Amino acid sequence: MAKDGNSKDNVKKYFEVVKEGFVEIGSIFKKGDWKTRVSYLIFGFGSIMRKQFAKGIALLASQIIFWVYLINFGLKYLVKFNTLGTEKKGFNPDGTVKYGDNSFLILLYGLLTIVLILVYLTIWYINIRASYKEQKILEQGKALPTNKKFFSSLLDQNFDKTLLAIPVLGTFLFTALPIAFMICVAFTNYDYDHQAPAKLFTWVGFENFKNLFSLNTNGFGSTFFVVLAWTLVWAFFATFLNYFLGIAVALLINKKGIKFKKMWRTILITTIAVPQFVSLLYMYKLFASDGIINAYLLKWGWIDSYIPFWQDPMLARITIIVVNLWIGIPYLMLMASGILMNIPADLYESATIDGANSWQCFFHITLPYMLFVTGPYLLTQFIGNLNNFNVIYLLNQGKPQSMGLAAKAGYTDLLVTWLYKMTVNDTNYKMAAVIGIMVFVVTAVISLIVYGLLPSVKDEEVFQ
Amino acid sequence: MNEKTSSLSRKRHIGNAVTYAILIIMSVVWLLPFVGLILQSFRSYVTEFGGMVDYVVPKEFSLDNYIYLLKPENKFTLWFKNTFIIAFFTSTLSTMIVLGVSYALSRMRFAGRQAIMKVWLILGMFPGFLTMICLYFLLKNFGLTQEGAIPGLILISVMTAAMKYYVCKGYFDTVPIALDEAARIDGASRARIFLTMIIPMAKPIIIYQLLESFMAPWCDYVFASYVAFGYSDSYNVAVALQRWVWTNDYQGFFTRFCAGGVLVAIPITVLFMLLQKYYVEGVTGGAVKG
Amino acid sequence: MKKKILATLLAATMVLGLCACGNKEVAEDTTATAETTEATEATEEAAEEAPAADLDFSQGGNITIWVAENVVDFTQQQWDAFIAANPDYAAFTATIEPVGEGDAAGNMITDVEGGADVFGFAQDQLARLVSAGAVMPVMGDYESFVTSSNDAGSVAAATVGGTIYAYPITSDNGYFLYYDKSVVTDPSTVEAIAEACDAAGKNFYMEINSGWYQTAFFFGEGCTLTYDTDDEGNFTACNIDYASDKGVKALRNICDLAAHKCFQNGSSMSNATNVAAIVDGTWDASAAKEVFGDNYACAKLPTMGGVQLSGFGGFKLLGVKPQEDAAKLKVCQDLAVWLSNEETQLARYEAVAWGPSNINAQASDAVKADEALSALAEQLAYTIPQGQYPGDYWTLATSLGDDIINGTISSSSSDEDLMAVLQNFQDTCISYAQ
Repeated sequence: MAKDGNSKDNVKKYFEVVKEGFVEIGSIFKKGDWKTRVSYLIFGFGSIMRKQFAKGIALLASQIIFWVYLINFGLKYLVKFNTLGTEKKGFNPDGTVKYGDNSFLILLYGLLTIVLILVYLTIWYINIRASYKEQKILEQGKALPTNKKFFSSLLDQNFDKTLLAIPVLGTFLFTALPIAFMICVAFTNYDYDHQAPAKLFTWVGFENFKNLFSLNTNGFGSTFFVVLAWTLVWAFFATFLNYFLGIAVALLINKKGIKFKKMWRTILITTIAVPQFVSLLYMYKLFASDGIINAYLLKWGWIDSYIPFWQDPMLARITIIVVNLWIGIPYLMLMASGILMNIPADLYESATIDGANSWQCFFHITLPYMLFVTGPYLLTQFIGNLNNFNVIYLLNQGKPQSMGLAAKAGYTDLLVTWLYKMTVNDTNYKMAAVIGIMVFVVTAVISLIVYGLLPSVKDEEVFQ
Repeated sequence: MNEKTSSLSRKRHIGNAVTYAILIIMSVVWLLPFVGLILQSFRSYVTEFGGMVDYVVPKEFSLDNYIYLLKPENKFTLWFKNTFIIAFFTSTLSTMIVLGVSYALSRMRFAGRQAIMKVWLILGMFPGFLTMICLYFLLKNFGLTQEGAIPGLILISVMTAAMKYYVCKGYFDTVPIALDEAARIDGASRARIFLTMIIPMAKPIIIYQLLESFMAPWCDYVFASYVAFGYSDSYNVAVALQRWVWTNDYQGFFTRFCAGGVLVAIPITVLFMLLQKYYVEGVTGGAVKG
Repeated sequence: MKKKILATLLAATMVLGLCACGNKEVAEDTTATAETTEATEATEEAAEEAPAADLDFSQGGNITIWVAENVVDFTQQQWDAFIAANPDYAAFTATIEPVGEGDAAGNMITDVEGGADVFGFAQDQLARLVSAGAVMPVMGDYESFVTSSNDAGSVAAATVGGTIYAYPITSDNGYFLYYDKSVVTDPSTVEAIAEACDAAGKNFYMEINSGWYQTAFFFGEGCTLTYDTDDEGNFTACNIDYASDKGVKALRNICDLAAHKCFQNGSSMSNATNVAAIVDGTWDASAAKEVFGDNYACAKLPTMGGVQLSGFGGFKLLGVKPQEDAAKLKVCQDLAVWLSNEETQLARYEAVAWGPSNINAQASDAVKADEALSALAEQLAYTIPQGQYPGDYWTLATSLGDDIINGTISSSSSDEDLMAVLQNFQDTCISYAQ
């Protein structure tokens, strides 16, 4: 309940801030001098007139770049954004092709233009405030900071802006924008039948989501839930089996009296060092129905006919979890060794004096300590496993398929590998986008629930 | 009294024997696939057979696969070089980005700090494959696909590296903020503190970051194959080698795949073994701080 | 070069970079004034009206060619010969990339503009490519070249709706039986082969979870499965009768085969271990010779339950991407003709043993004497030429096959169960045609 109240407050606060912003824009116009007022039209005008060249020119440049971009590039995509293009592909009389509208680019650059307009408005607001601030400083008879000071502040009190400029821009352009684009795609009919540049695609509203949740035989609906269920089961086993067995191995190696500790550790971690595409593809061949394991078992007469490691749905799932142990245990072993050394030794000493045996020590000291310390790690591991593409795809590509599952899904497919198949093999982008959104929803819900339950999630400031 | 200690020590001996047995079995299980991989890589595709067989030890040891790979016209050396270039630049540049971001988020308080962290957290919850097609066309617009795939791949991983700041920021969080404050009173700028105080203290985490981001490109098959888009001079090892297993065009390339895998694994394994200590510190620190 | 400069400026002037690209496009838009008319009609007229002499080839350009790995060198030689024979085209250069026939279509569809100008692909991809606008219709002289020089099946395979879209290069995309004659003495029935393999502890490979190989059983029993397409590559109707007694019998045959101890699912010689018999195509002939050595033998497909197995007869095609530059288009089309004419097909047969689709090349002595190709030719009498199938069909067929392999359907299933499966299969197949 408290949380709800919080978020409501936040929303309220947000609107208040926006409202204040608008009020401020009006009042600055009233109180501002002519330099400030001209800044409403020409960015950085006030700053330049007050000899704040660095700031002023930067603002002016951003305005010029924006308009050049909009007129030469952005506008022609933006105007078609509501239809995603109407002009079809055709052929010229000389036999060459004449491409019509490219829905893909219209959607992508239309979106970019919309975002840039918002950024432009923000800069406009910053520009007005900056000009007014300078005006007030001068009215108070104080001196404005020199240009040199402006630059040196970028290495000092404004160092955060220097450090974050490229990462924020980069994640916007190469993560946020593409994600926004794909969310839009979920509301279009962009697939193999509507492939740019030869064909147009357009908005279809919630059609694809209806398709996902339609439970008829060939619909995505039932398949989606089968895949989702296995994704969750897989993530559970992949996380916790690895976790506990990894700790067990770490305890074994760190046991008093065991020699060559370093050697055991080194042997195990070769699996981390060898690239997964090598080791997993090899593992796939190893367990194949005509692979080496089956071949030797047959030769030795241990089995009569091959074991269908990858063909039988249940067996394939188990094999994948087992192979994942092979990959994951060394990692956990390393981590657990590090943490085990941090457990205060006197805890064990006093427990031993009280007559506790090693099992009791483990369950009453080691395990609670590990769980407490690694809680957030387990959560990130779980989420990582929900999206663990490599292990599934490099091993058996989500197979076996079945008549009971739609759209190429197999019994060992995770949502992400299914999504990958839709994107790469089927170019069914609209459904891939819908699945991607569902992955996000699942991840977000699990994170929110678990995060609330974790004991060790504290305010980050506590550590400093 | 004596009997008791001897029975205890016998118990311990048995316990140790069991532990050794488990460890030996585990070592065998962990190493066998690699032994198999190495053995297969010595099976000649010329005199024996380059495809799948049902035995492990080659009838005759030969270096044919390695000779094939090392011939420049077969491009493996080129793919290897490509991957190395990608790995090198990705790891140095993205480590710089991560360090900077972590410092800003850990040490400085500014408007929008929480917002940036929240947005990155949310963006991180979307599966990466979702956006491949979009990234491909974005890169294509700048000529960074096909011939330009290598700088393109570097650009993408560097530009999105910031979202993996958790481990490093967690590490910076443990460095007492009083140190910064003292330096600031002495008149040092933020940049100076970052470069001369924090960076030297962060050696283990820097090596961890370098190692992690250096290893990733060697496994990048999915996105790299998208960006290279049928232009084989821009392939990395993962894109090139997987075709030898998955595509029917490459009949009898399995042993060459194994040899290629061995060649890729050697430098990374060596590097990893050398820097293991720091890696453990990074993994542990990352786990504890989430 | 321009692109490279752009790339380096990228980090700093992302937005400016976009503008620069934008400018270029605007310029192109204004110069392109040609009227666009109905797609195919216009090109048809164009091919007849526009004389080649008007074109200026001196500008040159780069032509990307995608072919299978083992013919990359061969194609390079042919390109050199092509340029030598057409000095006008000397300004053009070629980039030949090993992109397999399986991947080529998928890549082309992902990004038509970034894809190859001339590319080889297996015919089952054609409808997809047409639908995505990735292949240029073959018109005028080129059309008569294709129809006059190739066998009827390959021409039909290159046709979608009423339009020819590709240049056939091989007629060997079918399958038959390779076997080890020291193990398999009687290759005429599935039962005998399986028995021999079981006795010898060897493997018998057939890829029953592939829509391509599965049809051997269904068509053998007399079932049909074809799709009708319109000119744009859309599927308009599905003709199927799998949900019938014949279909049940075929499905039961597949189940029986899968139940054999020696059975392995697969059709790639180099992925097969301990193999004594494999249903595979001509592309694996050299690998098969290597594996079987002196015991190498091939034959038409066996019978099962007294019925001859059938299957697809398929073809490999060469496609030309729609071009925006008329001169380049002409070069690409001429190149496609060059790469698919009689001489090149024969040379290709000699280099990599691909069976020609050209009628004259098929009649040559060397081709006639080829063991694998004769087995295929013998098998072809029982197959149907492969038409166009939607991508979903192949997926569905894999699902059906996987259900057999993992035992969801097996020889012990009742006829009613099998019929229900086939009914589902048939309904789903029909649903793919709008």
